[in-house]
Amino acid sequence: MKVRVDPEKCVGHGRCYELAPEVFGEDERGHCRVLWEIVPPQLEEKARLGEANCPEDAISTSEV
Amino acid sequence: MPRPNPDPNTGALNVQDPAFAARPQPIYAWLHEHFRVATTLGLGAPILSRYEDVVFALRHPKIFSSEMEVHMALGNERPMIPQQIDPPAQTSYRKILDSQFSRQRVLALEPAIRRHANELIDAVIDRGECEFDRAFAIPLPGRAFLSLMGLPQEHLELFLELKNGIIRPPVPPGDLAAAYEFRAKTSKRIYAYFEQVIDDRLASPREDLVTYFTRVEMDGRKLSREEILDICYVFFLGGLDTVTATLGCSIAYLAANPAQRQRLVEDPAIMPLAVEELLRWETPVMLVPRLVREDVTIGDVTLKAGTLVNLLLGAADVDEREFPEAHRVDFNRQRNRHLAFGAGPHRCLGSHLARMELRVALEEWHRRIPDYAIKPGETPRVSPGIREVTYLPLVWPKRGS
Repeated sequence: MKVRVDPEKCVGHGRCYELAPEVFGEDERGHCRVLWEIVPPQLEEKARLGEANCPEDAISTSEV
Repeated sequence: MPRPNPDPNTGALNVQDPAFAARPQPIYAWLHEHFRVATTLGLGAPILSRYEDVVFALRHPKIFSSEMEVHMALGNERPMIPQQIDPPAQTSYRKILDSQFSRQRVLALEPAIRRHANELIDAVIDRGECEFDRAFAIPLPGRAFLSLMGLPQEHLELFLELKNGIIRPPVPPGDLAAAYEFRAKTSKRIYAYFEQVIDDRLASPREDLVTYFTRVEMDGRKLSREEILDICYVFFLGGLDTVTATLGCSIAYLAANPAQRQRLVEDPAIMPLAVEELLRWETPVMLVPRLVREDVTIGDVTLKAGTLVNLLLGAADVDEREFPEAHRVDFNRQRNRHLAFGAGPHRCLGSHLARMELRVALEEWHRRIPDYAIKPGETPRVSPGIREVTYLPLVWPKRGS
């Protein structure tokens, strides 16, 4: 799985890195930073949780 | 017989109705069913209440602007920064502010907040009762604000007096001229207070926020004194009342719903999710205004440029189209994109601080006073606008009895 964050949309709610710190981190401003190029299978559920809780629709996941 | 709210024929909603503030969720549901665009009683300003409409407005500041003169009504002499300024200027401010309010930063304040919470609980626990707003919900965010700003805790009473002078000026109800005058007088005292703090930090810098404002560079220049004052002003108004209201709404809900409260007592690990769900359900900042800049059509209603609209965040947060079983409070809700902190570029700057304060306050309160209820025979009172529970009498078993 690939996970991407659109920096134009992210405003730093931080729901992703609170719910799924294994997949998402924060930059200096508290905006989302994706920690994996390819998400390991055991973390895919977490990646989807972050995607589902982003109030800006800034996170997208896709199968590779 | 009081007139029905909202008016069933026109959808006109009296947003100042205390009964609406006390229990808004059924009215939100009615609006969702009958009016995609409702209006406020009196002014007739359009109200958006669907999740998709509210989030669209929040994300499009070129259409729904935060720059509006009517908002100087809070005693401020200039627009509040960054709340009443739109991108791109707002983005520059947020770049230097966001880092000071990131989750990392606010977690460093957690031990101090926990200590403040316990001191407030110490003061009432043996009595077996308290009025929660005065005993806890008001002073805790005030103490947190003073810690954050690096100001002495002894100034708490002064701060609360100044805040009340802006939010609830002590004048006869409906006397707008007197209210305006009182706010103007109070705001001068607030500006004067922070002028002094800025002078002090310029002379003797510290590791605190005001010192940071005097030093930081934004787009290659330093902030002006007026800019620093305008930022302090919004922190002052935004940081105190909103957390007070959220604490009151949360405890009032939990006092009235003992089974839900019991879940928090038995499993404190669910607190972070519970905080989000309480924020969604209560959405204490129930509405925010925006000024329409370009004609825009919502459903079959066209909002003309120049119209002041109200975004009913509280209604968006119980919209069944976004939240399955929206009217069930579920501390295990897995998908919760609530708008209690807004969305888009103006997302609440203090949201990480607020979350931490709420979590710590609820953890400590339930650890030490797990079994509380609304005092028999009493009814809590909730103020309109920002839903502060201004009267919340609680009782609990005294220790050893």
